[in-house]
Amino acid sequence: MNFEAVIGIEIHVEMKTKSKMFSSAPVEFGAEPNTLVNPVDMAFPGTMPVVNKQAVINAIRVANALHMKIDQELWFDRKNYFYADLPKGFQITQDKRPIGRDGYVMIKTNNGEKKIEIERLHMEEDTCKQLHLSTYSLLDYNRAGTPLIEIVSRPNIRNGEEAMKYVEQIKSIVQFSDVSDGKMEEGSLRCDVNISLRPIGSDKFGTKVEIKNLNSLSNVEKAIEFEITRQQQLLLSGVPVEQETRRFDETRKETVLMRKKTDAVDYKYFTEPNITPIKLSDEFVKNAIETCPELAASKKDRYMTILGLNEYDSDILIQDKDVSDYFDKAVKFNASPKLLANWIMVDIAAYLNKNNLKIKDLQLSPEHLSDLIKLIEEGKISSKQAKDVFAVIVENDASPIDVANELGLVQMSDEGAIFELILEVLKENPQSIEDYKNGKDRALGFLVGQVMKKSRGKANPAMTSKMILDELKKK
Amino acid sequence: MKAITKEVLKDAASRLMFDMSDEQYDTLEKEFEIIIKQMKLIGEIPDVDNVEPMTFPFDVTTDFLREDEVTEPLTKSDALKNAKDVLDGQIKLPKVVG
Repeated sequence: MNFEAVIGIEIHVEMKTKSKMFSSAPVEFGAEPNTLVNPVDMAFPGTMPVVNKQAVINAIRVANALHMKIDQELWFDRKNYFYADLPKGFQITQDKRPIGRDGYVMIKTNNGEKKIEIERLHMEEDTCKQLHLSTYSLLDYNRAGTPLIEIVSRPNIRNGEEAMKYVEQIKSIVQFSDVSDGKMEEGSLRCDVNISLRPIGSDKFGTKVEIKNLNSLSNVEKAIEFEITRQQQLLLSGVPVEQETRRFDETRKETVLMRKKTDAVDYKYFTEPNITPIKLSDEFVKNAIETCPELAASKKDRYMTILGLNEYDSDILIQDKDVSDYFDKAVKFNASPKLLANWIMVDIAAYLNKNNLKIKDLQLSPEHLSDLIKLIEEGKISSKQAKDVFAVIVENDASPIDVANELGLVQMSDEGAIFELILEVLKENPQSIEDYKNGKDRALGFLVGQVMKKSRGKANPAMTSKMILDELKKK
Repeated sequence: MKAITKEVLKDAASRLMFDMSDEQYDTLEKEFEIIIKQMKLIGEIPDVDNVEPMTFPFDVTTDFLREDEVTEPLTKSDALKNAKDVLDGQIKLPKVVG
């Protein structure tokens, strides 16, 4: 029997707002435990939640990027459960009226484009961080209350590749819109996958298994492929799949059981009575959308249609928001976009890679990279010499022309000076002139070489070649 | 709805990691009986299927949203003041997962 997988994904995105979802305590990563909490986060009696404006703007931006219908009235609900990760005894979330509904995102897979439908997007607060040790647990409330966006796909994902591409798209959107760092490895983008199998052609769903702890895009793909095979083998040998939560074990490259799901928890959702429904004006929503930083898809389009880059280069630049931002800044200084793209993708990438740095750590300013490329374009230095200049300025962000001068690299583009050298060379090599006249083209190369030698490599080769040719024609 | 029996209360208490005397369970059971009777009374009000639940006493909305600005958080010692057991600046609990 052939099976098809039915996969739905829930993604939690931590926003990088300054303050928390319902309190004005700071949001930071890696601070000393329990130093970023205020009475609201600790659920001290009498405290009241107040909704963060930027968090709402962020949610609108992402909902818009995902082609969703935006609910212009904000309602929040309590999800009640008793656990130490939220001291209130409930999490404030949006259950009945999520801010975004019925959207989609297009993904590109090896089998072409596919539309992944998204059911809902809502805002909520993150829980505290728990550290479970052998005989006790430790709680750090710094993360409690951090604004989250939860994005829930419809179950129309069919395999690991589609799932991976879907998560990649969401990650790109939240990063480019400046909503989140979107770092899976640090937990600022977390995804849970629901997966079940059914015979092809059936419209019933099988028993679903939830996979947690997927901290990279490739693990999303690997975990799903493993899980599909596991469930397939169970079903083929007549063993029913059990409803359970599993996690992906990175070293063993397989999913392992975390817990069996017994009775479904009833969270007894009800409207959060401490937050009066908030009406968002058309203008507020419009403004949130219009001021959204440019998304990857729009950048790609601009790179190809306005800057004339090819698709391959454009795709590489938009893989990382910081890289594309660097490129955008450099392009403003008028160097050739194609050359800039090449230098960023090859030389800068190699340098960052070698030194284990991110482009944000780069000393070299976009302006100076652009200046360096302009030196090449103006024929002042060769591409090869530019690499020597680059090796210096990438470390100290010095002015490329100063470094080129210091290294004695600036090409001689002064026609008069080159002309004098040419006359000398022609005088010293009458045989070559003869050879050239007799149709030996190689003689030209030899003469150019002689001029280069006399100029100690500084003469602009293209210019020299053209000038010698002009002279030879006169003879 | 699930009947509130002494067993249900004991189970709930055990999940919340506390226990009570038999007398207290008896009292609680009786209290629930009264509450459930009152709820039943409310449940008998006819023709409410199309009535929206009322969360707020007035049908009002606001447009107020808090600017995303940070205020001084609690000091660590204040934040941890209510905790019975603290280790490395974190609240220490009996192990809550297996």
